[in-house]
Amino acid sequence: MTDVRIVGAGMTDFGVHDRPLAELFADAAVDALDDAACAPADIDAFYLGNAMSGQTDGDTHLAPTLASHLGMAGIPCTRFEDACATSSNAFSHAVRAVAAGQYDTVLVGGVERCTPATGLGTDEMTAVFASAAHRQYEQPTGLTFPGVFGLLTTRHMHEYGTTEEQLAAVAVKNHRHGTLNPRAQFGTETTVAEVLEGPVVASPFRLLDCCPFSDGAAAVVVTREDAVDDPESAPRVAGIGHATDAVPLATKADLTATQSARDAAAAAYAEADIQPADVDVAEVHDCFTGAEILAIEALGFVDTGEGGHAAVEGTTALGGEIPVNPSGGLKAKGHPIGATGVAQLVELTDQLRGEAGERQVPDARYALAHNLGGDAATTLVTVLDGGVSA
Amino acid sequence: MSDDPYSHAAWVDALRDGVLLGGRCRECGWTSATPQAACLECATRDLEPTTLPLEGTLHTETTVAVSPTGFDAPYRVGIVDLGATRLLCRLEGDAAIGDPVAFAGTLETADGEVAPLFTDADQSP
Ligand SMILES: [Zn+2]
Repeated sequence: MTDVRIVGAGMTDFGVHDRPLAELFADAAVDALDDAACAPADIDAFYLGNAMSGQTDGDTHLAPTLASHLGMAGIPCTRFEDACATSSNAFSHAVRAVAAGQYDTVLVGGVERCTPATGLGTDEMTAVFASAAHRQYEQPTGLTFPGVFGLLTTRHMHEYGTTEEQLAAVAVKNHRHGTLNPRAQFGTETTVAEVLEGPVVASPFRLLDCCPFSDGAAAVVVTREDAVDDPESAPRVAGIGHATDAVPLATKADLTATQSARDAAAAAYAEADIQPADVDVAEVHDCFTGAEILAIEALGFVDTGEGGHAAVEGTTALGGEIPVNPSGGLKAKGHPIGATGVAQLVELTDQLRGEAGERQVPDARYALAHNLGGDAATTLVTVLDGGVSA
Repeated sequence: MSDDPYSHAAWVDALRDGVLLGGRCRECGWTSATPQAACLECATRDLEPTTLPLEGTLHTETTVAVSPTGFDAPYRVGIVDLGATRLLCRLEGDAAIGDPVAFAGTLETADGEVAPLFTDADQSP
């Protein structure tokens, strides 16, 4: 097995894009290819993450369409669907294929359109998202995704005393980080008072506890270690964990553990041979403020039950002990479902190259991405190493 | 309807008859409130259909205020602890986590699916 490195990264601004998926994706892919100094002919395979294009755009068999648009028809193209964890799963498979020697260089990306530019209103897009819940034993109750995380977070509040003010502090932090990211959907700060005055979406979450509907795309190029000219600008994939938990939600043994994240993190830390305390910067799946609290506990950044204090005390802010979501996270950067996992890796590549501008975490070596899908049933945790000596 | 005593069709029929149909693993005792082809704990396929209690305690809940197409918000969704297992349901009433709740019938959706409905235990019929 050879080591694998990210040699190119690109993404679109996240927000509203009233354009065909192929054109939207090409913007991110061309940036990643140019960043890698790769011609389309250098790409051996294409791994795509897209969760919902059949429902949102009436458009399936997407991977070869996108590859053709980029002049890459002919290579193997594979599409992944794992709800919000879609493109980190594509990334995982691409990295394993290169490590195993199947391919030398692979383009991995994600694209999704979720805003009203698709022609779908809030109730229709809420239904599209809810299709990731169990068809027979969750969807008929009217459970939504804010509702899924509402159930988990309400239980966390009951068990550990987590408060709505602590949830709001996560939104405040990530909005502040988002103001430093020109690609973020939200470029404005918010306050705890403003979050708490918002309308309820699914209790305990109010509007500003929730990530927005977003359109966008992200892409990276991965290649084998011995083909890399400039390792200083090519973070090494040090470890990937991929785990699942029971579906439907009610059969999970513990609703606040997000066990798939704990299992994926344990596998990723073991492969990277690091501890949680070694992580310098993290992008975690904050689809809702409560989800970030569950995530930082599952990743071992804080003790279980203590997650509510982190944003309030500044532990997870830029400048804090473990900066979480310097990009603004899903909350402020945006969450185009199938693009989110790779977009986390684009941010972390920028961080490890020292190219993250005003939101740069100084001297970051180990960077971690946590990408969760469905009713906390899928989680991928990826550890990148920006150090030159592996 | 299916002849399988532990299928989705059997579960729906039972629900409409006021019965919560679960499955208990004959090997390890793990119990599910919804049909499974195999035990989630030990993967044995020897699951025995079982009748679950109609009362439990509320394990967690959320009030959905922004609903998908076909549903009229606001409404409550909860997970009820039935002792040996838990079940996701639509929730009526004011029960908080830890309060007793009781099965109160079914919710039929516009697309023909069925969900269990629970309410505060002291208000059940
Ligand atoms: Zn068993």
